Amino acid sequence: MYQVTAVAELPGHDDRAWAAAWNPSRPILSSCSADKSVRLYSYSSTSDGTLKFNHVSTIPTGHTKTVRSIAWSPSGKTLATGSFDSNIGIWEQEDIGEDELGAGEWECMTILEGHETECKSVAYSSTGTLLASCSRDKTVWVWEVHPDADFECLGVLMEHTQDVKCVAWHPSEEILASGSYDDTIKLYVDDPTEDWYCFATLTGHASTVWSLAWSPKGSYLASASDDKKVRIWKRADNYRWESVLAISAHDRTIYSVSWSVGRPKSGDGSLGWLATAGGDGSVKVWELTEPAEVEGISKNAPPEHRLIATLPSAHGVHDVNTVSWCPRGGMEDVLATTGDDGVTRIWKIVPE
Amino acid sequence: MPTEVFNPNPVVFSPAKTLGRKSELLAHSLWIDEPTSSDDETDNVELIDQDEVFDLIRSIYDPEHPNSLEELRVVSAPQVSIDQNRITVEFTPTVPHCGMSTLIGLCIRVRLLRSLPNRFKVDLFVKPGSHQSEHAVNKQLNDKERVAAALENPVLLDTVEQCLRDAGRRGQPVEA
Repeated sequence: MYQVTAVAELPGHDDRAWAAAWNPSRPILSSCSADKSVRLYSYSSTSDGTLKFNHVSTIPTGHTKTVRSIAWSPSGKTLATGSFDSNIGIWEQEDIGEDELGAGEWECMTILEGHETECKSVAYSSTGTLLASCSRDKTVWVWEVHPDADFECLGVLMEHTQDVKCVAWHPSEEILASGSYDDTIKLYVDDPTEDWYCFATLTGHASTVWSLAWSPKGSYLASASDDKKVRIWKRADNYRWESVLAISAHDRTIYSVSWSVGRPKSGDGSLGWLATAGGDGSVKVWELTEPAEVEGISKNAPPEHRLIATLPSAHGVHDVNTVSWCPRGGMEDVLATTGDDGVTRIWKIVPE
Repeated sequence: MPTEVFNPNPVVFSPAKTLGRKSELLAHSLWIDEPTSSDDETDNVELIDQDEVFDLIRSIYDPEHPNSLEELRVVSAPQVSIDQNRITVEFTPTVPHCGMSTLIGLCIRVRLLRSLPNRFKVDLFVKPGSHQSEHAVNKQLNDKERVAAALENPVLLDTVEQCLRDAGRRGQPVEA
C-alpha cells in the first residue's frame, strides 16, 4: 500500500481555491480562486530530491467574478481562465526567459465572450488547436485556436438540459466529453461535412456530474458525481461507450477526478492511478488494471480497481475542490489539491 | 425582481418563547465571524445543538412578507438534525408552488455559512411533499457552485441581505 505525504502547502488566495493546473512543459503550477486571481508557482528538486515550490506571480485577471477553472495549452505557453463573469481569458507571457519560469508579467491576449452565464470549465485539446468551454447557460462551445490569440467558434453544442459543469478532451483524439447538472455525460466529435455533434449520451449517475478524466491511453473515461460515485466508462467500439464500473468512493459529493499513469508496481495491464476528492475532505487514490482475459467473459468486463491510498482531511475541515496529477515525466506520483480554505497543497504518493 | 406574490395571505404564528438557556454564551462565540486564531478549532469544539441552529435561522425574514420564517412556520427546531459535523435543515414552503423557496433556502444557507464554525457541512432540504419542484429546489440549494455564483449576483445578494437584516435577533423582538 501507499501513503499520501505532504510536499508543500501554498496559501495565498483570499477565498475558496477552485482549481489548480500543472503546466505540461515547464515546472509551473497555477491555481485560481473566488478571489478572482490566478497564482503561479515554480518548482524544482532540491539536492535531496524533495520538491520546493516558490510563488512567482499573481495575475489579478480582471475577471469581475470568481475564476472557476484554468487550463494550460499543451505547449505550456498559454493559460485559459474560465470565470463566473461568463468570459474566458487567454493569457500569455511576453518574452519567456529560460530561468524566469512564470515570473513577470502575464498579458491578457484576448477575452472570449459568448456564454450567457457562468463559465464553469475550460480545456485545450491534446494538439492545442481546439479549446472547449461550458457554462450554466447549458451550452458547450468549441473554439478553434488560430495564431495571435485569434479564436473562432466552430460550434455551440446545446445538448444538455441543465448547467454544464465540466469539459474534458480525449488524450489523443478530437473527442470532447462534457458532464452536467442534468446527471449525464455527452461525447462529441467533429463531422467533417457538418458541425460538431453529440454521438453518445452516457447515463447512470443519479446526480450532477462534476468532473471527468480520460485514462492515459484514452480507452476509458472516469466521471465523478454528486451521487458520491465514480463511474468508469469503456470504449466498446469507436463511438460506443459503456458503463463498466461504479465505485462508491466518498461520503459526500465528489468534486474532482484525475487519471494518470501513476507508478504501479507492476506495469502489466496497468491503467494507471485514479485520484478522487470532494466534499468529505478526503483524497483517495485507486489503482486500475485491465481485466484479465478469460475465455467466456465478455469484453466489457470491468477493470480491476484497488484503493491504494487514502488521505482524510486533506484541507482540514474544508471541501477539496480539485485533485490533479502532475503530467510531467518523473512526477507521476505527485498530486495537487485545492480547497475551500483557499490553499493549494502538493502531495506525493509513496510506497509504505 | 419577481412581482408575483406566491402566497398573498400566509398564516402567521406567534413565535415560541425564546429559550433562555445558554444562548448568551453561545451568542458570543457565534456572532463574530470565525475567531481569528481558529487553527485548532477541532480541539475547541463548541456545542451546537438543534435549538442553536434554529435560533440562527428563526428570525430570517420571508422574502415576500414582513414575517420571520419562524412566524410562518417555514423553519422549526425539530426540522434541524445534527450528526457530528453534519447538519441537516429541513424547511417548509408556505405553499407547494412557492417560487420563493430557493431564495428562502439560499437565505438559510448564507446565514448558516456566516454563523457556524466551518467544520460543519450543511445539507438543506424542503420538507418532503411540501413543494411541487422538491427535487429541483433541493438540488440547487446543495450545489455549492450555484450557491457561490448566486452570491456574486448583486441583486440576489441584496435581497438575501434584506431577509437577513434582523436574523441576529434570534427570536427576540426587534428593539424599539
